[in-house]
Amino acid sequence: MMTVMPKLADLVDQSFDPFEVEKLSTGDSPDPYPRIHELMKQGTVIKGSYRTQFSDVPDVQIGHMDQYMVLGYDTNLKVLTNPEVFGNHGAFQHTLGKSFGRTVTVMDAPEHTRFRKIFQKAFLPNVVAKWGETFVDPVVNRLMDAFIDRGEADLIEEFTHHYPFQVIYSQLQIGREQTKVFHKLAIAQLLSAIGAPQGPEATDKLGDFFMALLAQRRAEPGNDLVSHLATVEADGERLPDEVLISFLRQLMNAGGDTTFRGTSVLLTGLLTHPEQWEAVAADRSLIPQAIEEALRWEGPVSNTVRYVSEDTELDGFFLPEGTILNMVLGSANRDPSKYPDPDTFNIFRERKVRNLAFANGPHVCIGQHLARLEMTRALHAILDHTRNLRLDPDKPAPDIRGHLLRVPDHIYVKFDKA
Amino acid sequence: MKQWMCVQCGYLYDQAVGDPMGDIPPGTAWEDIPDDWKCPDCGALKAEFEMVEI
Repeated sequence: MMTVMPKLADLVDQSFDPFEVEKLSTGDSPDPYPRIHELMKQGTVIKGSYRTQFSDVPDVQIGHMDQYMVLGYDTNLKVLTNPEVFGNHGAFQHTLGKSFGRTVTVMDAPEHTRFRKIFQKAFLPNVVAKWGETFVDPVVNRLMDAFIDRGEADLIEEFTHHYPFQVIYSQLQIGREQTKVFHKLAIAQLLSAIGAPQGPEATDKLGDFFMALLAQRRAEPGNDLVSHLATVEADGERLPDEVLISFLRQLMNAGGDTTFRGTSVLLTGLLTHPEQWEAVAADRSLIPQAIEEALRWEGPVSNTVRYVSEDTELDGFFLPEGTILNMVLGSANRDPSKYPDPDTFNIFRERKVRNLAFANGPHVCIGQHLARLEMTRALHAILDHTRNLRLDPDKPAPDIRGHLLRVPDHIYVKFDKA
Repeated sequence: MKQWMCVQCGYLYDQAVGDPMGDIPPGTAWEDIPDDWKCPDCGALKAEFEMVEI
């Protein structure tokens, strides 16, 4: 039988550019870390929101709620590993819950424990390891083929901004003719945070598409991720459609956008420290520690939230039930008591302390193993196909910006073809 | 290669690295890790780990 792929509807206003507008939400700060260090010196629990330190754009979702910032490694870890007191639902129901729906991020135990295990099973290291050759390598090689003969490129616009999304399209078996609209809606769905009407519009349209896709894959199951999730059972039950569709919405962002940023930061760190780039090129066994250092130095997500579900104390501060905590992960990863010279990118630093780029506790990132795999494969592909890769001296150096999600707009490079 | 993996989050225990933050020194064999040790990524108990082929 001929399979007909459902069609994803574009935004009504097709001229709307979510990639430009998202900077209102994710920020355009050139460097939030001096402010983060100032805050860390003031204490570990400080009244106020992380966002308002850097942006005047109102947060229409939780901006009206009492908020405290949690700073430094130990206090972030204390909160993240105590979900009974510091929950997800109370905070994320107002934020990502609006964009994605009923995802595991928005759930607390026992519901979270049950669904998390099912989704995590599809993204365990022994599972995603098999995707390197089948999904990631074809995408990164195809993208590199398009510019490799030119001897110069913008690694953001021509590579990192696309490959993690294209890996997801391959996993979901979504045709290339739909990928532009997918990328646009994946970014647009998060713009509910600043009240853009395109936010809920994108959420609805992705939901309609995934509902149709689920029906199709249940009728004709293949070996793709949607077919697997559409038919997997836990305790004799299938995943509810609402939970599954919400997960697929989140996958577009959590799996695509964060890996784009993580890979871009990795390349920025290495190329702005050419001696470290040369070291990795000469000894690829250094790739895992280079990735961990990039995740620590400029983690893709600088801040997340938790909800105080009962009156409690944290480091001597009374926190009433209903308070929103801003978990400043960027402060944990640059805590000078854990990482000497924390603002310096140094792949050779001692790695006794695990970074919190993917958070910690029961809500630690489900996709962290896929993210590391993709970053590894992307770096291998660049090293395989180029020689003498360096920043283009005639163009602006990469400039990482943003206070919530950080990335440079461009990484202009020159190279010789290998 | 076979490794012990947390089925809740996918953390892989590496004997060479241990878990210094969890008071497990580098070189500690899996069998010598106490039962009340928790996964350093998600907090799951040792019983939630399985041996897998990576």
